Amino acid sequence: MEKKLHFPNVKFLMKIVRTMKIATFLFLISIQLSAKNFAQQKISLNAQNTNILTVFKQIENQSSYRFFYSNDVLPVNKAISAQFKDAEVDLVLNKILAGLDVRWKILDEKNIVISNNIMSTSNYADSRSMMLADSVITGTVFAAEDGTLLKGVVVLVKGTSIKTATDESGRYQLKIPNLKVTLVYSYVGYTNQEVVPSRYNAFDVRLKLNTKALDDVIVVGYGKQKRREVTGAIASISESQLKEIAVSSFENAIQGKVAGLEISVPSGEPGSAPVIRIRGSASISAGNDPLYVIDGLPISSNTGLQQNIGQRTEAYTVPKMSPFTTINPNDIQSIEVLKDASAAGIYGSRGSNGVIIVTTKKGIKNKKQVSFTGYTGYQDATNLPKLMNSEQLIAYTKDARNNNYLQTNDPTNPLSKTYNASYDPNTNAGRPTATATFLIPEKYVNWDGTNTDWLGLVLSRGKVSNYNVSVSGGKDNLTYYTSAGYYSEQGSIAGSKFDRYTFRTTVIDDISKKLQVGSSLNVAFTDNNRLPANGPYFALPPGIIYDAMVSSPVAKPYLADGTINQTDNQNQWGAYMTTNNNPLATMAAIKENIKNLRVFGNVFAKYNILEDLSFKTYLGIDLDNYQQSYYKGVTLLYRGAAKGDPFAKSSSAQGLNWIWENTLDYSKKVNDHSFALLAGYTAQKQNNELQWIQANSFPDDQVKTISGGIVTGGSAQKEQWTLVSGLARMNYSYKDKYLVSGTIRSDKSSRFGIGNQTGVFPSVSAGWRIDEESFMKNLSFINELKLRTSYGLTGNFQIPNYGAIGLLGNANYIFGNNITTGIGSSTLNNDKLSWESKKQLDIGLDFALFNDRIYGGLDYYRSLTSNLLLNVTVPSSSGFTTALTNIGEVENKGIEFSISTKNIIGKFQWSTDFNISANKNKVLKLGPTGDPILSVGSAGDIRHITRIGDAVGSYYGYQVVGVYQTQDQINAAPKDMLVGAGGARPGDLQFKDVNGDNLITAADRTVLGNYMPDYTYGITNKFRYNNFDLSVFVQGVEGREILNLTQRHLLNGEANLNSYAEFLNRWISATQPGNGKIPRADSNSGLHGYNMRPSSFQVEDGSYVRLRNVTLGYEFPIPKITKKARVYVTATNLFIWSKYLGFNPEVQQQATNNLVPGEDYGAYPISRTFLLGFNLTF
Amino acid sequence: MKKNILYTFLILLQFSCAKEFTELAPISDRSIQSAYKTATDFEVAVNGTYDALQLSGTYGKYYLVLNEMRSDNVYNGGGSGGIASTLEDIDLFKEIATATELSTSWADSYKGIARCNIILDKIDQSTVTDALKKRYKGEALYIRSLLYYNLAVIFGNIPMQLTYATAVDLTQVPASQIYDQIIKDLIIAEPLLPAKYTLATDVGRVTTGAVTTLLGKVYLTKGDKANAAIALNKVVTSKSYSLVTDYAKLWGAANENGVESIFEVQFKTGGQGEGSGYLEYFAAVLGRSGGAGGGNASMPVTPDMLAAYTSGDLRYTKSIYKNNKLPDTTYVTKYLSTQTTSFDGDNNWVVSRYADVLLMLAEAVGEGTEGYGYINQVRARAGLAAISAATPGTYTEKLLAERRVEFAFENQRWQDLLRLGAAKTVMAKFLSIPTTSVRLVYPIPQKEIDVSNGKIVQNTF
Repeated sequence: MEKKLHFPNVKFLMKIVRTMKIATFLFLISIQLSAKNFAQQKISLNAQNTNILTVFKQIENQSSYRFFYSNDVLPVNKAISAQFKDAEVDLVLNKILAGLDVRWKILDEKNIVISNNIMSTSNYADSRSMMLADSVITGTVFAAEDGTLLKGVVVLVKGTSIKTATDESGRYQLKIPNLKVTLVYSYVGYTNQEVVPSRYNAFDVRLKLNTKALDDVIVVGYGKQKRREVTGAIASISESQLKEIAVSSFENAIQGKVAGLEISVPSGEPGSAPVIRIRGSASISAGNDPLYVIDGLPISSNTGLQQNIGQRTEAYTVPKMSPFTTINPNDIQSIEVLKDASAAGIYGSRGSNGVIIVTTKKGIKNKKQVSFTGYTGYQDATNLPKLMNSEQLIAYTKDARNNNYLQTNDPTNPLSKTYNASYDPNTNAGRPTATATFLIPEKYVNWDGTNTDWLGLVLSRGKVSNYNVSVSGGKDNLTYYTSAGYYSEQGSIAGSKFDRYTFRTTVIDDISKKLQVGSSLNVAFTDNNRLPANGPYFALPPGIIYDAMVSSPVAKPYLADGTINQTDNQNQWGAYMTTNNNPLATMAAIKENIKNLRVFGNVFAKYNILEDLSFKTYLGIDLDNYQQSYYKGVTLLYRGAAKGDPFAKSSSAQGLNWIWENTLDYSKKVNDHSFALLAGYTAQKQNNELQWIQANSFPDDQVKTISGGIVTGGSAQKEQWTLVSGLARMNYSYKDKYLVSGTIRSDKSSRFGIGNQTGVFPSVSAGWRIDEESFMKNLSFINELKLRTSYGLTGNFQIPNYGAIGLLGNANYIFGNNITTGIGSSTLNNDKLSWESKKQLDIGLDFALFNDRIYGGLDYYRSLTSNLLLNVTVPSSSGFTTALTNIGEVENKGIEFSISTKNIIGKFQWSTDFNISANKNKVLKLGPTGDPILSVGSAGDIRHITRIGDAVGSYYGYQVVGVYQTQDQINAAPKDMLVGAGGARPGDLQFKDVNGDNLITAADRTVLGNYMPDYTYGITNKFRYNNFDLSVFVQGVEGREILNLTQRHLLNGEANLNSYAEFLNRWISATQPGNGKIPRADSNSGLHGYNMRPSSFQVEDGSYVRLRNVTLGYEFPIPKITKKARVYVTATNLFIWSKYLGFNPEVQQQATNNLVPGEDYGAYPISRTFLLGFNLTF
Repeated sequence: MKKNILYTFLILLQFSCAKEFTELAPISDRSIQSAYKTATDFEVAVNGTYDALQLSGTYGKYYLVLNEMRSDNVYNGGGSGGIASTLEDIDLFKEIATATELSTSWADSYKGIARCNIILDKIDQSTVTDALKKRYKGEALYIRSLLYYNLAVIFGNIPMQLTYATAVDLTQVPASQIYDQIIKDLIIAEPLLPAKYTLATDVGRVTTGAVTTLLGKVYLTKGDKANAAIALNKVVTSKSYSLVTDYAKLWGAANENGVESIFEVQFKTGGQGEGSGYLEYFAAVLGRSGGAGGGNASMPVTPDMLAAYTSGDLRYTKSIYKNNKLPDTTYVTKYLSTQTTSFDGDNNWVVSRYADVLLMLAEAVGEGTEGYGYINQVRARAGLAAISAATPGTYTEKLLAERRVEFAFENQRWQDLLRLGAAKTVMAKFLSIPTTSVRLVYPIPQKEIDVSNGKIVQNTF
């Protein structure tokens, strides 16, 4: 375990700092100055407890002198006290600068220069000769953001026609009449800057990008648009927002940044896929994932290429790896989220879950740039649950066993049949040995003092590091961007590790004025060693985290001989203890690896047929290759088995997706009318091939691949889908004031039934730029005010590739003791099967106030998803139990609000970004009869319901009223028909009689909440002072409930394994009633109060507020060698405030099954990360 | 208008070249459009009908749970909590209509029936040779009949679907009508099938003897003893089958499909999904732990069953292992198997064997020398003395007792009790419950009632 902060680059950084000092010096002596003879002017001043700067200002006011110096040399804030009356300036300076390590010279009646002692006399001579004529200023102009040298910046002497422009290397030289002038620096896309060159550092200028948000150009489907002309609901995330959080995949970085985009991270495993929902979940059976468009290539997440190779059943499958870990977040220029029907409509049958457009970086002409970025640090599991220690567990176990025994035996009454003179609550003396639930494990009766911290043994510190280098630029007609990156993350469970190597190149060439061609290629390789941390302890392979939680602290992790203890733990203790696994044994025995090689890219050619008309043809390709292997070693004694059961599986998958798109673009402005037209035709095809093979009967663990065992199965599968589409869009605006847009797309998809393959998806939107109206002109504080609305139809094509076709599956049989091929129908043919369609209305308002110091947007939306794809139950006498049919309707409605403010500007800057969104999901129609869908979750009982009027996959069960305190309360309560023969006792849970029939029966089950949050929000505060910047990002979710299935073991009152410390608050007796929420301990509750039935007891509040990220950075002043140099420290997931008992209030056991969301059945913990990083641009 | 032009344009554009591009057939699955045409199609389709007998809703698991576990031979070992609680309900005649065992059994039986139906519907239009056509029809008819027989016994009043259709006829018909249909089908099937297959690779397929034996059983179940006797006599006189000398040699992978075997559901170990779970069900203590609820649905032998063996019965030690030490271990030895993973045993399930023909014939001919003759053939192998009219008890009681021990744990007991009218009295006594609590049929799965829009009605008990 590495405890030390590992930072190998300290030396290197020190070098940089040193380099910069030298650069500052060089800069200073390069100031071109001259002097001539002059008469000194007299100065009078009285300075008490003031500083040098103030004194200089006073001198400048009284005389024509201007001081030239660098802050690096002169401590201007140094306190001084001095008094002069008509003194020569020489005298004044001698006194003020006495003792300082500086030299100074009065060059002429205007200029006094102060420098450090290193400056040689010869420099003075040069300076003087330069200054003989008029004052000449030379300098360099940089981009403030990244230190790029800017070419063509106009430098103008204000109020005159004297001007010049910067050259290739950003340098300029300008003769100025005197040093009292004001210089104006202007450059397209950047804010003008005015400088009075009498101050230090006056000659080198950093220009800031024009931050008027509404002037931004954003990427939309098949094109770009000025933000102020956009009429759809689109959120844009810039590069800088992506950089803050160090993560393997860009999706994780944007959590909480965009209103209406809900991202949850159900697993902290390196590289694992987050769950992304744009404006809620609309689908029940088809996918809810958005469409991703990466540099124009529309792709689904396509996680189907990753196979479930680890022996787990569907419900316990380990989470998928995010397919987007293959995109290096450093290569991303911007991310746009298309939320409404107008924005996403251009993607037709794939647009209804929203669209995420990822645009990668391109080179910029005459902006050569080499950038090197990196960070390194460590991460630890965070928000660990509180579990019982040995002493607490022993007391609780005794309580559970005693209660169970006493329920049917009365040892205290000598008249009773079961009178037991030797009853001892702390030992097994006199208890019947046949009934295990009466018995206390001997290890607990005679505790040897062992108190193992199982979680502590399993979790350890992991190292995270990331290095990227990119080179970009362009000359004449060519631009290029090329980069390489390496990312490495060790999980908080030792042995889980994710590595990524990425390469990217983009080249664009303007061959002629008419023709532009370009191509880009992304090559990524990820290598991920996984461990089965997710899932319950009894899954195969066992969930490591859950196993660590349920393991009794009384058990020792290792045997006396140093081997992992699998033979002397609760498996072997009897006394109704539940068998589990030593998590260390699982970690040692399981080897799982997934490698992903992904190559995607495109070539395009764009031809300008006319000035306003262009044609573009685009060919994109995405090649995805997975190699997976899994091995379960012979050493793992699963749940106390006497012998190991080695198993290996190996799989590979290849996906090839190509797309060919042809689009025509036409734009024209005639007087007040602007038109932009787009028409296109596209064809796309995906080919998938999957293979796997498995083997058993490995004699030992020497060979861990298939060849070491006996092959027992395998399969190879191929599948395809195709899509051809026509699309068109028209944007029209009148006087830039009234905006109208219409899109239409027609998709023909192979996934739909033969009789129903083509769908048409139209949408319209309109915008009114109110601020452009004459009546608004007086309200000068309003910079932008735009009202917009949209309505349209989109589809969801995320259904199985051959869902419409009646498939025959293998139905093999044995003849002559040999396996013989057989077939049987597996799915029903449905020629009518089609997409789910979603109608969405959006009304939005965009605003910018007070010189863009406040800007933001507000949206209301309502969407109706119909033709919902459902696996409808059909009469089984047809030979099928379910059939995929388009029946059902779900509504989502919500509001989104985001605002960005520049609270303080100037030297100290403070800005805030805030967003909040609320979504409500409701089922409106279901199946032919409207019957609710009851779903069995991971735990085997019905715990979820999807029914009309409630959210999809709501929790379902009994409502807990409280804990019975007295027998009288039990007698008075409705009769519980579910309790066992022994009946409820004081301390058991009371359940609600929902239907009022004075009985508790299955009919009293009710909806107990759902996973979908009421609202989610994020707030980022950024501060900047001089060269320091600080960003604090808080993100939260409110009104989410989690179905904590780990309670079934860790809070079940049966004490057959370890427990959450929460159970210490249990009902113990009338005088020790606990917190009124936790029932009594009872080792066979099922036979008595049945406290562990599916109920609101297991439904917990999953709301949280999280200090998601804090970053403190320091940017070095303009150096010569680098254009930009920044170092920072960043911490992610610093704190979380949540009432949730488990690790992670974002957990979801089956994240892809919409019917059973929000279950916690053991998951990889989320980590807290501390990193030290740097950005260097040359 | 403009919109319409645009629509037309877009759609035309697509149809111009896209028809073949988007009409994709599955690559790695057969589809209903392409299947059921050639001889090979039908060969694999017929194999698939056999596969239906391995499903967990049929002989794979729940036929055993719903018949053998229901009876007084075994009880459920699952206990009263969690998943196993429905098993206890079944054991105690308290099952509810939503129990998985019921819905799965119903669904899987009809799944097999649908596989048979599609063959019977389509084979006449195919290019299959006449000889094979006959055999395939015969096999499909037998397997459909076997599934219907089980469905009728378990649920009583069920829909009878005889063609392949997605719009199904949900009219419920009484069991007797099902039996009539089975009789009709089996009479057709009888001459279509060989008495024996010449190729070793066909061992396990339906023979004419299997058809006749099932026909005899269905006649008996219907109460038509005369026709039952005719059918069963045909099996005896065919001399195709005989009793295995050593009762123990009836069991185990090495003895499968032997001289006494008439029809067995075939299983094979080896991790290919073709293994059986009988070791786990009947001898959980020997089973390998595997996944959650490892040996669930284990079925321990009841003390009543142990007591049913008379002393000297060789079948006792060849059917059951019992030690008298503490803790007491008792389990069924008929389904021992060496296997590397759970629920992947090598044991076949014996549907019909010659001893059953003899004892059914004894039942068909009624009390008399001939009847006792058949019973005594079976007793002789068990090392027991012959019985006669002089032996105490009624003929039915004697038959039941003999069948109980001969076919212990073979899924016969519950059906015998039903057929011979002893279910209520025997089970009421065994469980100490009133006879009115003993259900003769199971509830129809609630799901089927729900989805039928009221067409299917629940059984009354």
